[in-house]
Amino acid sequence: MTIKNYQELNSLEMDTLREIGSIGTGNAATALSGMLGCPVHITMPEVRIMEFNEAIEWIGGPEPVTAGVLVHIGGQMNGIMLSVQPLEFINIILERMLSVSIKDYSQLAELERSALVEVGNIMISTFINAMSNLADMKVELTVPCLTVDMQGAILTVPMAEYGGQSDYLMTIGGNFSCDGHELPCRLILSPDIRSLNFLLRKLGVEDG
Amino acid sequence: MANGSKIVIGIADMKMTNQGSELITYALGSCCGICLLDPNVRLAAMIHIMLPLNMEAGRTNTMKYADTGIRETLKQMEARGARKARITAKVAGGAKMFAVSGSGALGNIGQRNIESVHKVLKAEGIRLIAEDVGGSVARTLSFDPATGKATIKSYGKQDIIL
Repeated sequence: MTIKNYQELNSLEMDTLREIGSIGTGNAATALSGMLGCPVHITMPEVRIMEFNEAIEWIGGPEPVTAGVLVHIGGQMNGIMLSVQPLEFINIILERMLSVSIKDYSQLAELERSALVEVGNIMISTFINAMSNLADMKVELTVPCLTVDMQGAILTVPMAEYGGQSDYLMTIGGNFSCDGHELPCRLILSPDIRSLNFLLRKLGVEDG
Repeated sequence: MANGSKIVIGIADMKMTNQGSELITYALGSCCGICLLDPNVRLAAMIHIMLPLNMEAGRTNTMKYADTGIRETLKQMEARGARKARITAKVAGGAKMFAVSGSGALGNIGQRNIESVHKVLKAEGIRLIAEDVGGSVARTLSFDPATGKATIKSYGKQDIIL
């Protein structure tokens, strides 16, 4: 079955996507664990299909400032992957990696920024690698890009990219925890609809 | 001054008021916010568009696009007594959120939104009296119909009053 809209996904397809989320975030957690030097666990991976304004509420409102690392996915699949990093998460990374902490995003200098890009990049690329191995797809990633700004505007990047196809944003992602503390970092994969169909077909759920 | 209560405009949304309430839309990235005001009938509208042109067949979400969003809003304003000759516009948004190198459409969405807004306003004969567009920072846009003042807040920058 080829879907034209995210809402047409049936429960088997949703389960498959959740599994991708689980494998992807699982691998990303392992990579993150290596960088931070502490065990990192994932909580339930989630697949969400949200109307634009609902998605903004889900991320925690439009105006709070966060850091976002964005990668474009090309090749056999098109999509955007975002790592959204609030200040608490940034401080965990910076303390572990560089033994510094910041009170405000304006204190992010070049070294700190490149650490954040690297963490985002490694999490995103391990996620994508796991997924592309699973589905036997050739996928290319662009150079990661960091921005620090209102999170609502960061989230509208994937919305605007696929806004011509849908009034909804689809996200596959998960949350992390370390030493019993929640690591407030969101990993969000937003594929376009054609790629989503291709991915599901590759995984053999077309007859679902 | 506004009457205290704010009217919030979401993404791909439009709201109109003749009560003088402040209109506000949050975190415009590549999206554009358009404030329209007819001072004679004290009718103000704000649109939050996301994409430049409506090329979808059978889609109902007109406010997602600059072209259909502005036209539909003007139609509704006229139905409530506004006249195009008196309506003025203020525009904000159209930023490029990520400095992605070598990617086509994504980086240009903001710029294309701005161009489309300009084009449609011109075609409809609406005067664009002030704007703060482009750049690389998100904007929160509020508009006070009583004074016609638009205020733009960005992270790490001073407020801009248009």
